[in-house]
Amino acid sequence: MTTTSDDGSAAATRAVEYAQEHTPRLRWTEHAPEVFKAMLRLDAAARKGLDAKLLELVKIRASQLNRCALCVDMHSKDALAGGESVQRIIQLSAWEESGHFYTERELAALALTEAVTVLTDGFVPDAVYERAAKHFAEAELAQLIAAIAVINAWNRFGVTCRLVPGHYEPGQYT
Amino acid sequence: MSRTTLLDHEVGQAMSALSAAAKKGLGDPALAELVVIRASQLNHCAFCLDMHLAIARRHGVSERQLDLLAAWEEAEGVFDERERAALALTEAVTVLTDRFVPDAVYEGAAQHFDDVRLAHLIGLVVAINNWNRVMVSRRIPPGGYTP
Repeated sequence: MTTTSDDGSAAATRAVEYAQEHTPRLRWTEHAPEVFKAMLRLDAAARKGLDAKLLELVKIRASQLNRCALCVDMHSKDALAGGESVQRIIQLSAWEESGHFYTERELAALALTEAVTVLTDGFVPDAVYERAAKHFAEAELAQLIAAIAVINAWNRFGVTCRLVPGHYEPGQYT
Repeated sequence: MSRTTLLDHEVGQAMSALSAAAKKGLGDPALAELVVIRASQLNHCAFCLDMHLAIARRHGVSERQLDLLAAWEEAEGVFDERERAALALTEAVTVLTDRFVPDAVYEGAAQHFDDVRLAHLIGLVVAINNWNRVMVSRRIPPGGYTP
């Protein structure tokens, strides 16, 4: 739309037109409710004993790597709702070069997250595992590995079924 | 430095429930093993391969299929169209960081599986990827599984 201002100059005040929202390929939770139930049970079991703030950072980073739009939407909002800073969320995609925004423990967890997520490229390197083992007690580390696997699971459903981001409200599923 | 062998009991139970629900809904135990083995090959999970090759043989999957599974795309006569569609989807869902799941792959699977079976097939690929991650990250050696 073009409007003419008082002095006669044409000012373009074009309304922003975003691309159209896509529709999901498959509403998998409706077609496989028992699988969904097992996923919810697994998610609850894997988060036991882990710090909620750390868990959201891990979930956002894995979702970025897997490019799960719904999961990025959900976990960024959950992180913000949980008191996380915008700065730390924004820097997550470049965390290796933004180390001073995170604790050594968080950095070790993020390195492990990447190695466990990008599994088809190689094994989880000893150095990455050992760095995590320095900061997490054994039982906690086992839970962290499980939690990284679980966000990867949600990512796979989200991406494969092309679930649509933007509609999540924090706390919607809790 | 050895890695942890710990797996929380409830996590293990829920993972088993997830696999069982997906497998049941797919309703094709032989195909399920092909899918699970192919994902485990891509994720290099020695424990999972050892376990599921044994299970596949028990379900009567042929040695020829197991031998050629890693090169299924070039083994047209060995896998039928439905199996090939499922394997293509398995690879796309497993190698997620390289690209999205392409429309052609998704639609190929949707031609052979109705929505309910497809949702369970995706669930099965997700479930084995989960096991692969948990086993590979802890370097669990093969051979621990007995049928």
